Amino acid sequence: MTAYINGLACISHHNTIDENYFFEDLPIDPLQNKLLATEPVYKDFIPAAMIRRMSHIVKMGVSAGITSLKKAGQEKADAIIVGTGIGCYDDTDKFLRSMLDNDEQLLTPTSFIQSTHNTVAGQLALLIKCHGYNFTYVHQNLSFEYALQDALMLLNEKEAETVLVGGIDEVNNSILELFDRAGYIKKTEATKGYKIGEGAAFFSISSIAQPSASAKINGVKCKQHIDNSDQLLKETNLFIESIGLNMSQISLVLSGNCGDEQMDKKLSEFNEKTKLPTGYFKRLCGEYFTSSAFAVWLAASIIKKQIIPPAIIDSNETISNIRNILIVNHYHDQQYSFMCVSIC
Amino acid sequence: MADSVYITGMGILSAIGNSVEETLYSLSNNKSGIDKIRYLETLHKDEFVAGEVKYSNQELNAIAGIGNYNRTTLLGYLAAKQALDNAGVADVQDARTGFISSTTIAGMCHTELVYKDFFDKKTNENFFDDHFSGVSSNDIAKHLGITEYVTTISTACSSAANAMMLGARLIKNNILDRVVVGGVDPLSKFTLNGFNTLMILDKEWCKPFDDNRKGLNLGEGAAFLVLESGKLVQQKNKKIIGRLLGYGNSNDAFHQTASSPEGYGALLAMQKAFKVAGITPDKIDYINAHGTGTPNNDLSEGLAMQTLFNNNVPKFSSTKAFTGHTLAAAAAIEAVVSLLAIQNNMIFPCLNRSTQMNDLTITPVDVLETNVPVNYVLSNSFGFGGNCSSLIFSKN
Repeated sequence: MTAYINGLACISHHNTIDENYFFEDLPIDPLQNKLLATEPVYKDFIPAAMIRRMSHIVKMGVSAGITSLKKAGQEKADAIIVGTGIGCYDDTDKFLRSMLDNDEQLLTPTSFIQSTHNTVAGQLALLIKCHGYNFTYVHQNLSFEYALQDALMLLNEKEAETVLVGGIDEVNNSILELFDRAGYIKKTEATKGYKIGEGAAFFSISSIAQPSASAKINGVKCKQHIDNSDQLLKETNLFIESIGLNMSQISLVLSGNCGDEQMDKKLSEFNEKTKLPTGYFKRLCGEYFTSSAFAVWLAASIIKKQIIPPAIIDSNETISNIRNILIVNHYHDQQYSFMCVSIC
Repeated sequence: MADSVYITGMGILSAIGNSVEETLYSLSNNKSGIDKIRYLETLHKDEFVAGEVKYSNQELNAIAGIGNYNRTTLLGYLAAKQALDNAGVADVQDARTGFISSTTIAGMCHTELVYKDFFDKKTNENFFDDHFSGVSSNDIAKHLGITEYVTTISTACSSAANAMMLGARLIKNNILDRVVVGGVDPLSKFTLNGFNTLMILDKEWCKPFDDNRKGLNLGEGAAFLVLESGKLVQQKNKKIIGRLLGYGNSNDAFHQTASSPEGYGALLAMQKAFKVAGITPDKIDYINAHGTGTPNNDLSEGLAMQTLFNNNVPKFSSTKAFTGHTLAAAAAIEAVVSLLAIQNNMIFPCLNRSTQMNDLTITPVDVLETNVPVNYVLSNSFGFGGNCSSLIFSKN
């Protein structure tokens, strides 16, 4: 199952919503351990009257979603599929906090209404008047992968010609404290944990390439559990073969190392074994459940621009003619995923 | 046959019983499970009624015997295990088997108990390990031995319908041979207070499709179906409960929480389900409506049914006055109800009704009907965010 990325947009720690920006301002401060999103001027994307009522995640999701459609020259899509690991956490947090602080009394509905996981998909449908298929996957770090897999299946079934698909997650102070006190946020480069991130990446995809197409998605596969780097290598080979390629055709691996040595152990060993040029995308976006959507956006952008941001690679070798990018991701050494983005 | 999706097992825990047999007994004896709140600790305990599963967390832990988990995981595991046992599946690894769950609150039932102390008093009992959606699906899948495909869907009150639909599509796309599909939501202070702020809770027993309906009663529970491919059913010569014949998903694109007055999204979802099923609406013997008992839903859904069936609406009822509205689990619980109607040639009544809705020409079934042929059932589920889904089940 293959789909063309006719339009794409990304909000991340860097100014990625600007399509002319491509990480020229790096390196970033290595001690920055919370890679919060650089928010665009939302009124450029969303009707002003709606912005006021929208939460951070909804604003990010709607802006990225609408922008990706625009880049594809579309106003509508036949289906909307969203993946989110945490969901609308800030509104959940607000309602929960006020319920507990006020002893279940004198509550207002706004944050409850916006706390449901499908809010972004619902708001996108509302905004572009899309009555079609509407789905939200909430399966931690595989949320975007399952959303993408569903989108490919929908195109294959001819149930939709164009699908708006994206991955999105937000952090707020309490989630940062939760991750920090659980020991997952890096204190210095040397400690365990990772840099935490947030963001939204959306894609307008179709079985037919439009002139605006930047790349194509060749396949996606998820694996609940991986025992060791040999199994990771074996599963990767199976995946690559299943989409009609072999490992020698991979120009670049975008590896989901989070920066925690222990969690990354299998992936680091795997990267050594493949001997392929490897880029580390979480250096740019941080670790979050739907960082793999950022990785797909990065892969498509690299293919279109034929430029690899120097910040993500360690070797000095020049890589040219970038045709196929393999994305391998994990979260806390669990739930691995494989995706391939290729030149059109 | 090759393209068909068969239902070979079902499992359920809700306010009206902790097994398929208990559920059938309650449904056919007008026994509602909605009562005073006994298990959930809330200030509103005496103010609202709810459909609770009649087990404490301790009891659920003891019955499940898989270790210490929150209510979401325990209810989900027990229902999914029942479904696999019912389907006679001894080894989930003998075919490509998936697990698709759905939930709206995931671990919130635990988070809300420890949240304040965790942040304000810096206590150590955190909710990191079980708060996020997906954790409970992974834990349930692990205890069932399912590894091939595990995911979680959250589309508010239509969640489980979408889990079932996705399962059917994965079988038809030859990605899986067998898939356990459904949903789970335990009652929580979070949802009780949330629905209270929306002022759509009835403090008395809810009255779906009654002119004087005031709102819904919340419920809790879990239900799962085992779906198997035609090929696997043939190969293993399996006894079937029915078929998941059609499914439709659409978005109302009207309002974040309210349904459009004419039920456009609902109409589209039903139309799509008929298209996939390849049958005409006149085949339907019974509709298990979403019928929450809120003024908005029942009118909007009723009008959509009148439009779709061109005023020849088949027998219909909402069974939410038995179970309460179980949110993400609702569509799966009502799938079991629909299949029980098919298996037993029964139509279960819409309880607590006394007054015909002024704005509708149709009237639900108020009294249990037995010995009526039920070959095709339509089941509706709609949710916040405009999510509308319809499923069609058939006997053969």
